[in-house]
Amino acid sequence: MLKCRQVPEQAEKLLAGDLGWRERLSLRMHLLICGYCRRYMRQLKLLLRSVPFLHGPASDDEVDKVITRVQCDRESHHH
Amino acid sequence: MVAAFDEDASFVAALREGDQHAFSQLVRHHHRALLAVARGLVGESEAEEVVQLAWIKAHRALPTFEGRSALRTWLSRIVINEARMQLRSRRREVFLEDLAVEGDDALADRFAASGHWAQPPHRWQEDSPEALLTAEQLRDCLERLMREMPDNQRLLLEMRDAGGIDFDEICNTLSISASNARVLLHRARSRLFRLVDHYEETGEC
Repeated sequence: MLKCRQVPEQAEKLLAGDLGWRERLSLRMHLLICGYCRRYMRQLKLLLRSVPFLHGPASDDEVDKVITRVQCDRESHHH
Repeated sequence: MVAAFDEDASFVAALREGDQHAFSQLVRHHHRALLAVARGLVGESEAEEVVQLAWIKAHRALPTFEGRSALRTWLSRIVINEARMQLRSRRREVFLEDLAVEGDDALADRFAASGHWAQPPHRWQEDSPEALLTAEQLRDCLERLMREMPDNQRLLLEMRDAGGIDFDEICNTLSISASNARVLLHRARSRLFRLVDHYEETGEC
């Protein structure tokens, strides 16, 4: 029987598509009976969806620097 | 605030047609995340140049972007290729100097000897990334945690969770085993989870 302690690692394997059907079934069964692990799973998914936004947007200066380089490259290509 | 960013079909179409405003938006949204990936691969001093060169390549390749992966993933791949070329030209390789997994699993002490939760996760109030990352204090704490994280754990998190690069590609790039990569990533995620959970409980971190 799967223990709560094993759920964080098994949950990540599930999300990565790395669980065989037996392990998947075992995790699903555990989640059915354990509200805390269901909460963990739900919040882990939210956390992982948030990671791509952690850095925030670039500043105007950073954007301008990239655009200037790209334009230089385009002009040197045209000539 | 998390900038809402809509990668819908019309935005991608505008990029492919060379719309400069759309390209500026693309840069604004992804530049810092790409810098973080580059930093982990080539170090602070060369990361900026690697990302600048990657943007030039991306701009040239956008008309042929087929949308088979998310833009972030596509851009991250270009940065990784650029970083590898840069390292090759200096006869260096991408490798994680320290593969040791530092510290304990950040969630280990949340469980009792029986294997059940001793301190279960708190109920988070938010249900979207936008809502979760609205709190400036939490964002600051997360940024600090990322800075202080062991390099190898941070790089895994940046490549997989922020960059959307798949596991096999990460393992090839870094020459590490899948099991090692999985442990490093799990440690990084557990640190983030613990911090957010503590913030949700106490309002501070």
